[in-house]
Amino acid sequence: MNAQRLVQAIDRVSYWSGKAFAWLIVALTFVVSIEVFKRYILNAPTAWMFDLNNMLYGTLFMMTGAYTLAAAGHVRADFVYIYLRPRAQAALDLALYFLFFIPGILGLIYAGYDYAALSWRIGEHSTVTAEGPPIYHFKSVIPIAGALVMLQGLAEIVRCVECLRTGVWPERPRDVEEIDVVDTQLAQSEFVDEESRRAAVASAHAIEEAARHRSAVDESERKEP
Amino acid sequence: MSDPALGLTMLGLIVVAIMMGFPTAFTLMGLGMGFGYLAFWAPGQHWYNNQIFDLIVQRTYGVMTNDVLLSVPLFVFMGYIFERAALIDRMFFSVQLAFRRLPASLAVTTLLVCAFWGIASGIVGAVVILMGVIAMRPMLNAGYDVRLASGAITAGGTLGILIPPSIMLIVYAAVAGQSIVKLYAAAMLPGFFLTFLYLVYILGWAILNPKIAPKLPPDKYHLAVPEWLQRLERGRSRRVIGGLIAAALRPSLLRGADAPDGRRIGYGLILKNLLTAVVPLALVVTTFGTAWWYVVIYNAPAAVTAASVSTTQTASVSAEPAGSSTLAEPDKPQELGTPESVTETAEAPQSADAPPQRMGSPLAEPTGESAMGHIPEHFYAWFWGLAVLSALLLGLYYWRMDGEQLEILRELVVSVVPLGVLTVVVLAVILFGITTATESAAIGALGALFLAVMAKYPRQVCWWSLAGALVGLVLGLGRGDFMTLFVSASLGGVFAGTLVPGLLNFRTSPALRKNLNESVFLTAKTTAMVCWLFVGSALFSGVFALHGGQSLIERWVRSMDLSPVGFLIMSQLIIFLLGWPLEWTEIIIIFCPIFIPMLDHFKVDPILFGTMVAVNLQAAFLSPPVAMSAFYLKGVSPKHVTLNQIFAGMMPYMLIVILCLVFMYIWPGMTLWLPEFLYGN
Repeated sequence: MNAQRLVQAIDRVSYWSGKAFAWLIVALTFVVSIEVFKRYILNAPTAWMFDLNNMLYGTLFMMTGAYTLAAAGHVRADFVYIYLRPRAQAALDLALYFLFFIPGILGLIYAGYDYAALSWRIGEHSTVTAEGPPIYHFKSVIPIAGALVMLQGLAEIVRCVECLRTGVWPERPRDVEEIDVVDTQLAQSEFVDEESRRAAVASAHAIEEAARHRSAVDESERKEP
Repeated sequence: MSDPALGLTMLGLIVVAIMMGFPTAFTLMGLGMGFGYLAFWAPGQHWYNNQIFDLIVQRTYGVMTNDVLLSVPLFVFMGYIFERAALIDRMFFSVQLAFRRLPASLAVTTLLVCAFWGIASGIVGAVVILMGVIAMRPMLNAGYDVRLASGAITAGGTLGILIPPSIMLIVYAAVAGQSIVKLYAAAMLPGFFLTFLYLVYILGWAILNPKIAPKLPPDKYHLAVPEWLQRLERGRSRRVIGGLIAAALRPSLLRGADAPDGRRIGYGLILKNLLTAVVPLALVVTTFGTAWWYVVIYNAPAAVTAASVSTTQTASVSAEPAGSSTLAEPDKPQELGTPESVTETAEAPQSADAPPQRMGSPLAEPTGESAMGHIPEHFYAWFWGLAVLSALLLGLYYWRMDGEQLEILRELVVSVVPLGVLTVVVLAVILFGITTATESAAIGALGALFLAVMAKYPRQVCWWSLAGALVGLVLGLGRGDFMTLFVSASLGGVFAGTLVPGLLNFRTSPALRKNLNESVFLTAKTTAMVCWLFVGSALFSGVFALHGGQSLIERWVRSMDLSPVGFLIMSQLIIFLLGWPLEWTEIIIIFCPIFIPMLDHFKVDPILFGTMVAVNLQAAFLSPPVAMSAFYLKGVSPKHVTLNQIFAGMMPYMLIVILCLVFMYIWPGMTLWLPEFLYGN
């Protein structure tokens, strides 16, 4: 039970940090748009805009890496993997976490730490423009993001062990998925009849799951409108 | 200790390791780390001083400061906001009404809505499920052939990953070190050409064999005209424009009539309908005005008389888009969104060579580079010719407009025009080099937010946009000329119209909050997925080259002594086969870099290659029995539709894509013409 609590706690950290940094996209949108207005209309471009954009974008994707891992969002070439039984999947994953994940991410954290430390020591500024903004905090994102991903990786390893013991994958917290748009769209629709709408919304996730296996949804599970 | 044997081991291992189904980004990182450590290992050196650590952190930082990938989150965000804000079923309904007289009108509508929707969103599974719910049943009920119906949905659903602004092309641009702008320009024609071929196929099949797509019963495609509007219709052909204007001047004409919602007819309703009627006119005028501005003012007519070779080309090819767009929408060019088609025809041909990314120059200032800016020789002839033609068509359209057509127009204006205008604006500013891709992506995302807020609070957005437009106007006044004022007013309107009502209602509107939340989080996940994969791949390919693996492959391919055609066929075949099990992210980020260095040797243009890969993946995603979209569609269609029927419906489209690939190879001009035309060589 303790292991489960640990996994939940780590998940919460990853979700929280990832979702917090995800909002940088809104900032990025407005920063770039306002710069368009300033540059083209007011003829007053901002020198450090290029650096700021990179910082927003770089921080956005680095800091949401752990969240994406927690939500199983990193792409896998799973055309063999999905046919394995959960225990086999877990065993494979567990081995590869030790073989690939831990060395790779440890290297990233270690190298990133040195990289950022050097940058802090010399008080590094961007060289894109003459009086560039400081970038040492931006470089610190690398080891921090690496540490977050590593933490989430530990949680995934515990998940694998759990699955090896019980034979089923532990539940992941519910998170928004691409297929949820079906729900949103059909909720607003005026021209689709109520029943087919409800059937589609109810089975959208099952359909997606089945399509990944390249198979149709089991007929008995489906509600015929 | 770098040696080719290790490089070969790496290549063998990577295929096996990826297939094990571990998150690919980390597989690549781990492999790169391990093999890199070996490559840099030197006796007597401390284990922690290995240079691999420098490599990994530099590659990571390189991705973090990659200004091509910077536009990925912005375009992704735009797509997610869009697909939650714009109503796909309303769009389907109104486009179907506009096309009702065509044969197989439902299938044509399905394909167009899918393609149009895909431009914004590009998520195949969701599009196919939605269209399966919205379009499949009406088609089957109308007696359409199952193969026709399912083919239109699956083929249309996959189009979205090809037509710009597509994320796949940005990622390819980052991988190949090409300019996004050029790739977008290159993918434009093949994308629309493919759509055009699909349409020809559907229409041809339906004309040759009308049984597969019976005409709809009249009650299915007639729109009820409200009673008050009927009273304004004049004469036997029920023309409505005159009556509407008369009513605007003398509201007493409508005394006693009730509006659909039971209230009295007010002046507001008449005005609203008049405004709706004006929309096509406004769009056409804006398009022509912009084309005029772009060529005559923006592109500095330093050498008006210069008649270079490229100008004659300009004139001869400009007929092509015009012709194809009339073909795409036969006898009724006025009924569907005229504006969009006119935009394509009017803007594309008339632009002179634009310098690719003129970053620093303010909008309205004539450029100083006189060598670049010149008015194509036949510009005036074409401009006025097209203008007169459009004026005639518009005149005819307004002359014959009856109450029902006004109602259809209203549906179109609400459901298609906002999205269409935004898409065209985003693509146009990228293609004509007015802003960078990142900037237009941000404007696109802002526009999507604007539409999302407007869908919920139209009235507030209207007023606040007006206020914002005024502020923008005042701010732009110092700079003087008309175009700057226009742009600054619209930007100001979009800013104020999005921000103020959005923030005011953010707390009280769960729908708005849900849309924004979901889009933000999904954007984060997609961006992280793509960019972490990029980090892994950058490290891996660096180490791979270090071991001499890359040169090994190159030597091996050269020793096969292939002709360029042979090389193209081989590489495209490999990519086609990889498209069955893998997603496009992995193919573009991991496998394309293996081919790209060899392109130079075979004299293949990387832009042509990238576009061909994008088209090719269409074929891969449509090939039975591995295509996922078939299974999505099967999941939502009625039980009697079998998988085999869906596959049979998809098959011809796959062949059409392959045909398109062959065309692209035979006439590279189809792909490379637009980028060369717009940006020179």
